[in-house]
Amino acid sequence: MTTASPPRPAIRIAHLNHWYGEGDLRRLVLRDLSLSVERGKTTFLMGPSGCGKTTLLTLVGALRSVMDGSVQVLGRELSGADETALVETRRRAGFIFQHHNLHRSLTVLQNVRMGLEVKGEAGKRDAIDRCLEVLSAVGLADHVHKYQDQISGGQKQRAAVARALVGKPELLLADEPTAALDSKTGREVIELVQRLAAERGMTVLMVTHDNRILDIADRIVEIEDGRILSEAPPKADAIPHPERLPTVWTRV
Amino acid sequence: MLRARTPLGWLQLTHSKSRFIVASAGVGFAVLLVFMQLGFMNMLFDSTTVIHQQFKTDLVIMSADAEGIVPDSGSFSRRRLIQAAGVPGVADWAEVYIGTLNWTKPSDGTLGAVVVFGVPTDVRVFANSALDAQMPLLRTSGTMLIDEGSRGDYRAFFARIAAGEQPQVKLAGETVTAIGTFNFGSSFGTEAYGVVSRETFLQLDRSRHPGVINMGLVTVTPGVDLASMADAVSKAIGATEVKVWTMPDFMEVTRDFLRVNSPIATIFTFGVLVGLFVGAVIVVQILTSDVQDHLGEYATFKAMGFKNRYLLGIVYEQSAILTVFGFLPALLLSILLYRLVGAAVAMDMNMTWSRVGWVFALTVGMCLAAGTIAVRRIYSADPAEVF
Repeated sequence: MTTASPPRPAIRIAHLNHWYGEGDLRRLVLRDLSLSVERGKTTFLMGPSGCGKTTLLTLVGALRSVMDGSVQVLGRELSGADETALVETRRRAGFIFQHHNLHRSLTVLQNVRMGLEVKGEAGKRDAIDRCLEVLSAVGLADHVHKYQDQISGGQKQRAAVARALVGKPELLLADEPTAALDSKTGREVIELVQRLAAERGMTVLMVTHDNRILDIADRIVEIEDGRILSEAPPKADAIPHPERLPTVWTRV
Repeated sequence: MLRARTPLGWLQLTHSKSRFIVASAGVGFAVLLVFMQLGFMNMLFDSTTVIHQQFKTDLVIMSADAEGIVPDSGSFSRRRLIQAAGVPGVADWAEVYIGTLNWTKPSDGTLGAVVVFGVPTDVRVFANSALDAQMPLLRTSGTMLIDEGSRGDYRAFFARIAAGEQPQVKLAGETVTAIGTFNFGSSFGTEAYGVVSRETFLQLDRSRHPGVINMGLVTVTPGVDLASMADAVSKAIGATEVKVWTMPDFMEVTRDFLRVNSPIATIFTFGVLVGLFVGAVIVVQILTSDVQDHLGEYATFKAMGFKNRYLLGIVYEQSAILTVFGFLPALLLSILLYRLVGAAVAMDMNMTWSRVGWVFALTVGMCLAAGTIAVRRIYSADPAEVF
């Protein structure tokens, strides 16, 4: 009888150091950080502003070059990777930004279609159907031909979610996707992300300050001063409550 | 099949219709400048050979240093023409006297100058059959034909002639009767042309010896090779004071002389370069501003996995769009302005396909160069900064 080997993690980070500036101005933002993120799980990165969580997200998203240490994403080592490898890794991930970052000259549908175009799938016969399907899933079926200035903040963020998900990424990276939304809309968007991620077996790594959505995470990683302070499943009392106030992470 | 690539350049440019119109108008303005400069330059070059085309001849004998058919193109002995007449293959010949004579303008009574051709009336000299038909009328001494393309308001004067009147004009101090009109089309340097008989010319220009002419026209028998005939006539004359040309060759000599020996080509070429520079600056400004406006969106695209090459393609697509949308209206407007200017100065200002092609190629080059300058900003779009 053989024992099944544990599944390879989606993200494996070992002894990661990252800094900005040079010489006397050099500032270390990630210090000997190691982390492993399971496939198909939703992990929240939390911590005070400037703690390095967004830098970590950009390194995992192959948006920066790894300076020291190892970052493996979806089986590919990003340390020493060339531009082509970085771009290929980006194409396997979906990104949701703090501000929706929709293209203002494109309609909602055209914006979402860009998520397929980057993978060379926009010319396929079912491309529009796939866009409409995901737009329907995020509740924007009636707004597909509108421009970003014709829809609400929540709808913009839903459109950004649709753009990130339409290409069926293996990894979803999100940076404070609820920051510009009210609590109700923010929660709706995150629940939507979580539901679609679960349906598609995606790994989600999300930076957030928002204590109201902690219950949605499978795991919460706290970072402080470039190091991991703690990592654990969300506590039972993390279930959101209307009266709950932001805690330490929002006190900047 | 669905389009694989979103036409982002087009969508970005046309998202704001007013900005797109202004941008296209900017490019169009530069193209218009270029068209007008080339139009003026070629009108000037063409105008120097308009007069060549009025003569019905195969060969032309001119003074050796002549660069065109103008009064100061030099003179030579009529005997040279008679020598040419003896060459086998020569069918006919005619001498032409050319002079600039003072006249009292029939338009407003002021003094002016008219270039007068004195020609034999018993030989076909002019290509224009309407003009040729009037040649017998010039056998009456003291009569002349006047160019309808003369600069100035001659409408009333020509109307009188058209009505059958024969008004008199003061030409070289003599009273001459205007018995008809013709149309050469004027040039930059000449405000009016007149045609008189050889005899009338010699009466008007009393300093002119009848044996000294300005131009010899030679018609050869059909089927004879013109270039070899020009050589044969030249050898028969055997004098270095004259040269024998085919008319097309002489027209080319005239154009080349103007192109090489006058600053005209340099001035207008500089004008074209200024137009292209202005256009390039406008396009760089438009594209750079557009790239700057969309830098965040470009950074987002980079984060999504689009390569720089894709984003550069957007800028070059915009260059191509501005080329077309600037060029086409400018072309139409140029054609209209060519007609208006041509009518105003009584000269032909024609648009040619080769000019359209050249200016389009220059516009493409201008927009591509501008695009190449503008795309540099795309490299500064940092995908990590969108977080």
